This record gives sequence, structure tokens and C-alpha cells, in this order.
Amino acid sequence: MTASAVSFSGVEKIFRRPRLLGAICHTAVQDLSFDIPAGEITGLLGLNGAGKTTIMKLLTGLLFPTAGSVRIFGLPPSGQAAKAKVGFLPELPYFPPQIKPGAALAYYGRLSGLSGKELALAAAAALERTGLEPHADKCIAEFSKGMLQRLGLAQALLHKPDLLVLDEPVSGLDPLAIHDIRRLLAGLNAEGRTIFLSSHSISDVEKLCGRVLIMVRGRLAKIVARAEWEAAPGGLESIFVEAVK
Amino acid sequence: MRNFLPLAWAVAVNSFVESVRHRFFTLFSVFAFTAIYASLLAGVMAVDQEARVLADLGLALMELTALAYVLFQVSSSLLKEAETKTIYLVFSRPVPRGAYLAGKMGGVMLTAAFMLAVMGCMHLALLSFRGFPPPEAYAWALAGSFFKLAVITAFAFFVSLFSTSSVSTLVISGIMWTLGHFVSETRFIAEQAPGVKAALLKGAILLIPNLQLFNARDAAGVTGALSPTAVFSGAAWILAAYFASLWLLARKEF
Repeated sequence: MTASAVSFSGVEKIFRRPRLLGAICHTAVQDLSFDIPAGEITGLLGLNGAGKTTIMKLLTGLLFPTAGSVRIFGLPPSGQAAKAKVGFLPELPYFPPQIKPGAALAYYGRLSGLSGKELALAAAAALERTGLEPHADKCIAEFSKGMLQRLGLAQALLHKPDLLVLDEPVSGLDPLAIHDIRRLLAGLNAEGRTIFLSSHSISDVEKLCGRVLIMVRGRLAKIVARAEWEAAPGGLESIFVEAVK
Repeated sequence: MRNFLPLAWAVAVNSFVESVRHRFFTLFSVFAFTAIYASLLAGVMAVDQEARVLADLGLALMELTALAYVLFQVSSSLLKEAETKTIYLVFSRPVPRGAYLAGKMGGVMLTAAFMLAVMGCMHLALLSFRGFPPPEAYAWALAGSFFKLAVITAFAFFVSLFSTSSVSTLVISGIMWTLGHFVSETRFIAEQAPGVKAALLKGAILLIPNLQLFNARDAAGVTGALSPTAVFSGAAWILAAYFASLWLLARKEF
């Protein structure tokens, strides 16, 4: 039996926007139950507002569930032990433009509990792995969108996490950058890391993932395994379109 | 909890470096230099009291400049980190929110200390240029200014966690700063006032930090040392604001 890296059980997230009289409630996700097996690449597909980013934030402890429970390797995601096992790349990560990538990685490495030689080695390895080594002497202000995304990935990889949570990792990138990032993620998965990524690009998810979760208006509409979409006429795209219609 | 101090220190150093690198820091430095230099005019007009006017006006200008920059930093700090999603990269790591908050407060306090030190050197150089020795209890006056800034920094962080904009944080903290310099007057009015009015004023005094305690050079003839009451009061206000802020931050979602 494969152990679960991530487990959602009956999760609901309601956002309350306080108003002068009462509050406006918006249910972002509801009745959400699924497991992500350790060592797999799992994709998350859905239209805008389907709840993809909410799931990512629930996983990384940035949001707290209104009901139900979320577990990462059996641990609550807001705890320090679970966070030490997670690397997170948010959509369009921001880094101070006036510093160099090494300085940004040094800061995030320190926050991940690294120091001294271990930190220097981890930062150098992350730069090399993401192909940023030749640009190490440039300021972040000079970086293209693709390079910023690579730096985002580098900071997520610093502490060698068991689970990578990536929110739109290839959003807005050129085809070559997408190819490089896809190859990097495949390499990380081959090392045994679990990867959970959200995307709007069905073809990228199709190429990378072993399983895909399809979200529709805050609910999990379908879980599709690779064998299923490979056997379906029209592939994953037709399954997705059918699910969201 | 073993990592609390190293994490808080990492956040503090990063916050300090970012605020010193901010383009507004240069603007504030130029403003401070110009203001301190302009105090020469007031000194000349004071005729035989030039040394005293130069010292007091310079110290006041330094405190107000540092206050303006510190409030600007605090009011935009957490808001900017949330808007740019930088905070996602911090709180998705094993960083306790208490360590982050302590680091952020520490970073702003380091900035305040640095500003006071730099402006203090400029001020002393100006006094020396006019042929005056360093004023009595000068270091204590700077320490008092630092304590005031530390108290208002901690309070402003607390406000920034529930206020809806950086402007409201600036305004509320500015009002608290002003009220903090009128605590003895408020106490006097409370003693004179009848019934409910007195109770309300006495209650209000408890909710306002007495910043007058940190004016080391105020009373004539004092040696200048900050009293233990001032130090204890400052520490208590900083800790109370820290724990109140932590209570809010622990519940905050991003």
C-alpha cells in the first residue's frame, strides 16, 4: 500500500467578508476528500475560481479549513514539522529586485533552518538545478519571467522537501522554459519527491502527471488516472471539458 | 522553539537591510540633514541660548524624522509582504509566526537605532562646528528617543494587523504618539474632573503609553539617566503590543 503524502478529508473553506451589518460568506471549497500518494506527480485542474489556489494554501498552512481536516504525511499543515517537509511555489513569486538570487536563497534557506556551509551548498545546488547558475551575478531586477519562476522553484527546493506544492509553475512562460521546468520536475519526481501542481495547461499536466484532480466550483468533480485519459478519445482535454461543462 | 531566535534574527536583519535600502531612506536622510542644519538658524536667533536651542531642536527633529520613517515602514511592511505574496514564502516554511513578528519588530527597531545613531553623529558634528561641546545627557536623550520609537513601533504593528490601510495605521499610531506626550496633563485633568468623566480619563491613561517618561532632558537639573520606571514601562508596552499582535497574526490567513 502506498502511503499518502497529502490527505484531505471532508474539507470545507468558507471566506467571510465582514460588512457593516453581518458578513458575506463565500464557499471556496466544500466536501473535499482525496489522497495524494507519496512519490507521485498529481495535477490539479479547474477553471478560474474553482478553488485550486485555496487548496494550495490549505496545504501550506496559509489558510485554515472551516471544516474537515488536512494532513501532510499524517501531520497538520500549520505545524512546523509538516512545513519542514514542504516546498511551496506560489503563482508569480516576488523577490526584492535589487538583490542577487544567492542573497534571496540565503534568506529563505535561513528561514528553512539552514546555516553556514550547509546553506551555501544548498543555495548553490538549487541555483545549478534550476539553471540559474550562469545568472548568479545578476540582480533580480534583470531577470525575465522564466528566470523568476526558476528562482521560485529554487527557493522551494532549498531544504530538499519531500512534497513540492506548485501553483501554476509554468504560467506565462515561453515554450523552452516550460520544457526545462517540466524536465526539472520529472527529475525531482524520479528522486522520490511527491509533486502536487495546479495548472491551466492541460497538455503540461497530461505530460507530467500520473493523476489529475478536476475541480468544478469548489467541489472535486473527478479524479483521473493516466491510464484513463490515455485510453479516452480526445485524451485528458475531453474528460476535463466534459467535467466542467 | 529551539530555532526561535535564529529565525527572528534572520527576519530582523532582512527587514533592516530592506528598510535601509529603500529609496525613501535616502530621502529621509537628506531631509534629516537639511532639518538639523536648518536648526542653525533658530540657534542664531536664540542669541545667548544658542547651544541649548541647537541641542534641543536637533534632538526633536531627529526623533520626529525617525518616527516618520519608522511609522512609514511599519504601516507598509506586513501589507506589502501580503500583497507581493512574499509572506507565502515565509509562512509556508517552518517559521513560527511569533519569530516572524519578533523579527519584523526587531528590524524596524534596528532601523530606528541606526537612524538615531547616524543623525546623532550629524548633530554632534554640527554642534562641534559651532564650537559647542556635546550636550549634557545626550546619550540618554537618544536612548529615550529610541525607547519611544520602540514602543510606538510595537503599537503600530498591532494596529497594522487589524487596520484596513497603511494610512489608518499611520494616523492611529500618530495619534497615540501625540497622546503619549500628554499623559501627565490628562492625569491632572482626571484629578480635577468629577465622577464618570474622571473614571473615563483614568481608564484612558491606562491605555496610553506615557512617552513623557522617556524625555531624559526634560526636567531642569536631572542627570539624564532614564528611570527604572521608564525602562520597565517601555518593556511592558512593547511586550503587551507584541503578544496582542501575535494573537491577531496567529489567526490571520493569507
